[in-house]
Amino acid sequence: MFRHTMLFLGYELRKLFANPVWPLFGIMQPVLYLVFFAPLLRSTVPGGKMTDVLAMFTPGSMMMIALFGSMFAGFGMINETRNGMLERLAVSQAWRPAIILGRLVKDVIVLVLQAILVIGIAALMGLRIGLTEMVLVLLLMAATGLFAASLSYGLALTLRDENGMSQLVQFFAMPLTLIAGLFLPVSLGPQWLQTLAKFNPLYYAVEAGRSLFRGDLSAGTIPVAFALFAALTALTLVWSVRSLRNLAG
Amino acid sequence: MIIEAHDLRKTFHAKRGRGKKEEVEAVRGIDLQVERGEVFAVLGPNGAGKTTTVRMLATFTVPTSGSARVAGFDVAREAAKVRENIGYVSQAGGVDDTAPGIESLLLAARISGMSRRQAQARADELLAAFSLTEIANRPAKTLSGGQKRRFAIAVGLVNAPPLIFLDEPTTGLDPQNRANLWDEVRKLREQGTSVLLTTHYLDEADALCDRLVIVDHGKIVARGTPEELKKEVAGDVVTLRLEDTDAARELLAAQPYVKEVRAEPGTVRAYLDDGEHGLMHMLRTLEENGLGIRSVSLERATLDDVFLKHTGRSLRDAA
Repeated sequence: MFRHTMLFLGYELRKLFANPVWPLFGIMQPVLYLVFFAPLLRSTVPGGKMTDVLAMFTPGSMMMIALFGSMFAGFGMINETRNGMLERLAVSQAWRPAIILGRLVKDVIVLVLQAILVIGIAALMGLRIGLTEMVLVLLLMAATGLFAASLSYGLALTLRDENGMSQLVQFFAMPLTLIAGLFLPVSLGPQWLQTLAKFNPLYYAVEAGRSLFRGDLSAGTIPVAFALFAALTALTLVWSVRSLRNLAG
Repeated sequence: MIIEAHDLRKTFHAKRGRGKKEEVEAVRGIDLQVERGEVFAVLGPNGAGKTTTVRMLATFTVPTSGSARVAGFDVAREAAKVRENIGYVSQAGGVDDTAPGIESLLLAARISGMSRRQAQARADELLAAFSLTEIANRPAKTLSGGQKRRFAIAVGLVNAPPLIFLDEPTTGLDPQNRANLWDEVRKLREQGTSVLLTTHYLDEADALCDRLVIVDHGKIVARGTPEELKKEVAGDVVTLRLEDTDAARELLAAQPYVKEVRAEPGTVRAYLDDGEHGLMHMLRTLEENGLGIRSVSLERATLDDVFLKHTGRSLRDAA
């Protein structure tokens, strides 16, 4: 089982290294936000120091790649439902969950590398963060990415339609990011928005990220975010592996 | 016996709008026996249930009812064992477009349990056998249809299975590539690999297989060797083009040497065992009765005539 997961992971990574440019495009968006948008937020932070702005804004921009980047992970698989590749793998000796797990691990590796680059750029701009906090932030991001990516594989295998999938992903991603306070904390907003945000798992991830960037390891949102995303990932992962079985009709 | 299937059935439930469900009986009771080392064809028009049948035998689709043993294992209860013993090449091929063909080959080899070195050796062997060595490292999306199909078959053979399923292996290939692929299939038989292939090409089934079944609407309508099946119809077919097809049909049906007559607008097909002699009689009889013919041709009976006999329509029109 583990061997097959590693085989699929190796296969995906080799493909990635053959064409390593695309993930760099993926981090352009958060980097642009950091450079051009974060400075606008100085007036929202007491004292207006850039360090505080970055501590508030960087977690949001990282969750942005975790969510947006990973939600599109399944796109490549839609073609594989048509070109016979999944059909062939399904009747090969491969352990079926490995087909998805291998890709998920690749997605998370790419995500963590992207995140390290984003933190690096934020650090150049003046962000300061401790090592423990950074590792925890990366883990949290990996959990978010795992959830979003396995959701994406499940969607891809269920919808099997590029147009439908891109519409659906946009439809969900936009409100989720707005209600999570990805760019600005929802605590700045009205009460109803804060209440609404409590029902959005992404909110906990972003808030936990902000606490970690502030060096506040005791914040209650951190365990909540980890538990929430572990549970959600388990659910979406099971769903996506089951969707693989449904391919045959 | 490498394949033994009894009364295989598959019903799909397709959703049609809100709350409405439509049942599609893709396969409606198929019995199959395929011997070891045999090239066995499933011939039929598009939508006859060929692909669904193969998918059930290859453990991709679970049968709605019925049972099948492939390489000695039950397809439903011992799917993992079946998978160790088969190669499966779907109609779409299943070679990853976004990577070089060799990557698909190596991954398939590793999945079947080979070490890195064994996988490389097996891949080299298959690349050489299918003349793919030179294009092994080219991205699969840049390959031609024939090259991709050869890669797909090489991938299917990676674990040297005793049985390989080829679903419509030559659909979309040009005549040259089709001929090459036929040679590959013959080579497989020489090496003792059993082959089950589906096709809607009559000449392919005729040229390639030891035995075949003809399927239509999810059921087997005929089975046997190509020769047996054709003999069952008649040795030869005389095709006449003329105006008064009804009169000609009645007249010819009354002749003792004619086994069967079929009329379509403008054409009459008469089946008879000894075409060379029968043709002369036939022309004379038609002339004596004042039926002028526009053209006449004499051919050996084909599997299309078998299909026509059992389904009442030509395979060419059946799709």
